[in-house]
Amino acid sequence: MPKKIRAAAVSFLNAWPLTAGLEGSERIELVQAEPSRCAAMLEAGEVDLALVSVAALTKGQYDIVPGIAIGADGPVQTVVLAGEQSPAIWDEVFLDTASRTSHVLAKLVLDAKGVHPKFTPMPAEEGLARAKGTKGALVIGDRGFGVRANHVLDLGREWTQLTGLPMIFALWAARPGAVSPEDVQELTRAAQHGLGIRTELAQRFAALKGGDPEKYRRYLTQKIRYGLGPYELQGLEAFLERAAAKGFLPPMPLRFVDDVVRTRRARRAVSVDTALQKGADGERLDADEAATLDEKAPLLELGLAADARRRALHPGDLVTYIVSRNVNYTNVCTTACHFCAFYRPRGHGESYVLTREELTQKIDETVALGGIEILLQGGLHPDLGVEWYEDLFRWVKQTWPVINLHALSPEEIWHIARTSELGLEATIDRLIAAGMDSIPGGGAEILDDEVRRRIAPLKCSTDEWLTVMKAAHVKGLKSTATMMFGVGEGPEHRVAHLMRLRELQDETHGFTAFICWPFQSQNTRLEPGDGSAHAYLRTNALSRLVLDNVPNLQASWVTMGGGVAQAALHMGCNDFGQVMIEENVVSAAGTTFKMDSEEVERHIRDAGFRAARRNMRYQLVEETRA
Amino acid sequence: MLSTLANRALERDGLGPIRDKVLAGERLTDADGLRLFEAADLPALGALANHVREARHGALAFYNRNVHLNPTNVCVASCKFCSFARKDDQRASDGYTMSVDEAVAKVLSRKPLGVTEVHIVSGLHPDLPFEYYTELLSRIRAGWPEVAIKAFTAIEIHFFAEKFGMSYEQVLRRLMDAGLQTMPGGGAEIFAPRVRRKICDDKATADQWIEIHRTAHRLGVKTNSTMLYGHIERLDERVDHMRRLRELQDETHGFQVFIPLAFHPEHNMIGKAFPKPTGYDALRSLAVARLYLDNFDHVKAYWVSLGERLAQTALSFGVDDLDGTVLEERIYHMAGSTVPQALSERTLHQLIRAAGRVPAERDSLYRVLKVHDAPLPEEPPARLQVTA
Repeated sequence: MPKKIRAAAVSFLNAWPLTAGLEGSERIELVQAEPSRCAAMLEAGEVDLALVSVAALTKGQYDIVPGIAIGADGPVQTVVLAGEQSPAIWDEVFLDTASRTSHVLAKLVLDAKGVHPKFTPMPAEEGLARAKGTKGALVIGDRGFGVRANHVLDLGREWTQLTGLPMIFALWAARPGAVSPEDVQELTRAAQHGLGIRTELAQRFAALKGGDPEKYRRYLTQKIRYGLGPYELQGLEAFLERAAAKGFLPPMPLRFVDDVVRTRRARRAVSVDTALQKGADGERLDADEAATLDEKAPLLELGLAADARRRALHPGDLVTYIVSRNVNYTNVCTTACHFCAFYRPRGHGESYVLTREELTQKIDETVALGGIEILLQGGLHPDLGVEWYEDLFRWVKQTWPVINLHALSPEEIWHIARTSELGLEATIDRLIAAGMDSIPGGGAEILDDEVRRRIAPLKCSTDEWLTVMKAAHVKGLKSTATMMFGVGEGPEHRVAHLMRLRELQDETHGFTAFICWPFQSQNTRLEPGDGSAHAYLRTNALSRLVLDNVPNLQASWVTMGGGVAQAALHMGCNDFGQVMIEENVVSAAGTTFKMDSEEVERHIRDAGFRAARRNMRYQLVEETRA
Repeated sequence: MLSTLANRALERDGLGPIRDKVLAGERLTDADGLRLFEAADLPALGALANHVREARHGALAFYNRNVHLNPTNVCVASCKFCSFARKDDQRASDGYTMSVDEAVAKVLSRKPLGVTEVHIVSGLHPDLPFEYYTELLSRIRAGWPEVAIKAFTAIEIHFFAEKFGMSYEQVLRRLMDAGLQTMPGGGAEIFAPRVRRKICDDKATADQWIEIHRTAHRLGVKTNSTMLYGHIERLDERVDHMRRLRELQDETHGFQVFIPLAFHPEHNMIGKAFPKPTGYDALRSLAVARLYLDNFDHVKAYWVSLGERLAQTALSFGVDDLDGTVLEERIYHMAGSTVPQALSERTLHQLIRAAGRVPAERDSLYRVLKVHDAPLPEEPPARLQVTA
């Protein structure tokens, strides 16, 4: 075991989800201290790593741990200005001594309102007691919950109104070189764990300090945001820029642990024509060839090469599809990915877990429409253990034996293993025994940890995703594989994704099909990359060339529309995916394409192919229309 | 130069001889046109069309900044594919007729948006006097001297000629005096009499449509041309339609562009019997048009009809023009189109650039106003949705 690194963190409630999972960690030893003390210990080298307020970053050359932060996108409750009279007439503000970031934030917010009082450091209780007349006080931390005053300015809300961006208060900062990628993984895992048990943490906190556990739970799940993705980074940068422009903080470049540990290999020079020819002839492409094609090959050339491969792998003119229903059993999720418009926190007014009655109706309808598969996926619900899934699967398989249960992405299987305190293998064994037939390949996004940390910091890592697939394949299950691109990744990341899939497929041959689609941006917090139809057709064609060992490629008409999907049939795809009776996740992000089986078949025929129904294993099936 | 992969695919598909003609600059026969429509290999067809497109226009993809004005939807014709027309302007039937004041005010209100072309198409209103149209044009012209006025399909010109007892030339000259500069290409539908009898038997015939465009060209008015596909027509009737356009173009060189228009099925009389043609048909038709219409400079993918995704894809299938920002489009939207009401210039640029092309803003006469080699400057970031 490597030597443990030392980390300091505050004991405020909002830090608990990030630190609770570090208790008993074999890599990281946790020390708790007041905020200013955390910063001082980091500066003095007494700890390698500290959860510090953003302003403390100016005290040294620190590396920021990517993906994790404490912030708010709107009201935060625990950073407030309070006073008896309106802030407009304040001439003096007492600053709680606890955090410099909040001082700067208070100054920026008041400055934007044209208020320029004198600022006097003072302990919170005393400051609050004296906040009368033309005096105001800044109160931060857990004391903020109980503030009663005529005028209370929530600085999270004020900042978001001012800039349209979230406010980042604190993050993990490390002494240069002190933290390894494995330590970052450990911190990420701790955060995943902590976010999963926020309800419990709220109860623990209430038991310790008094107060309403429900209020604390709402604070942890709805007010505070724990991701540090591109949207939060925009907020962080805006804060530092404004503070520097006003002279409240020195200018400060941001440096991340990734920047230090990651060194990129230079790409070998490759001829596009040669690589295209190789791909079209079915020779294996290496990463440099694939990345060159991704970057430079024209759409139609990629399409022609991919079409040549499709013809070799699937001679004849048969294009298949499946009648299946997507059932999203819950939208409660602890992961809060930046690209997801579907999830709701537990307790949110729009959160749900489907009842047996609702499921019965959905599955009955599916069977009546000739459906032979249920694609069962959901959010990472903190309360659902393996028994809940076992019961559900047994019930489905007993009630509808014809239904193939295509269930649970790798992310969900990890989550079930964690909440049930079971090993991965044991979890999969139990789910298979209960009736899980195959695994959908969702949640792969981009299988490159640099990208994953940025877009879905709390999701399972590349290795974890592949580990689930491998374990399932070894046990005889088949699965699909996916890629969601256009999240700001580069050619190397997309190619790395395809290479990882190809490696595992060489080993297990468990992937029946691959499907890719671009990120759909409406209603999510991630700025879109190139999610255009052109990018889709190119990426799809490239995938056909690189994934020489994956038999089937599905066209994504749900995201791209029927016409573009027809073009994809001529550029690498041999399958038109699902007739989907229901799909919630992509449609929550604004895509609205819909087709019934007649319409799917018309598209297939119109594009010059014959249509046939298949099952999950790509065997042809008779129509079972009721 | 076509790539080895493209050549291989074309030969496998039996399109080698047609390819040779295209590369030699020889004219394709109607049989060639039909053969191309029946080609099984979409990317190979696309590669050939793209070859012609790039030889003509390089990487440029054209668009303009335009606004649509549909002064009335009241129409005496009963075209079975139309979802726009109403029999009267009663509120109950969603019929409307703008006063000249309203219509002019609507157009002039777009002045600050950098629009360079007004596109005016209307129903065949039974009661409006000819002066309604001339006054509309002359007041737009007076209020906005720089804007190009593209107005009235051949169907409307024919209707005016009959109703007001003038020749086509007389109608056109009076409208030109009032401000008309170019003409849209609508109303061509499919020229074949068999089809016209069934879908639009009470409006201008194919010969009349052709004659009006011939007259316009002779008077120095450049026009567009269209083809409404995807309903009851056969593929050979599409080729026949394009042949008649190609013949007139040989004679006059007055067409600026060819625009195949997909039939939209909602809220009209034949929609139930004929679903909307698929995107495959759009890509194929555009590519064939690029190859067959060898005397046309431009082939347009009208994004309002196709959607942004398919229109962008079409930029690799022979298309060099995406129409424009199209403020206020009504006709396709009443037929069920769900695409946005207008695309910002920035969005058009993004679509074009992401397809590996260079956006070029054009005017109404397809003269390049500006080649956008560099992206437009950043707009301030929009407020993102708060999900917490």
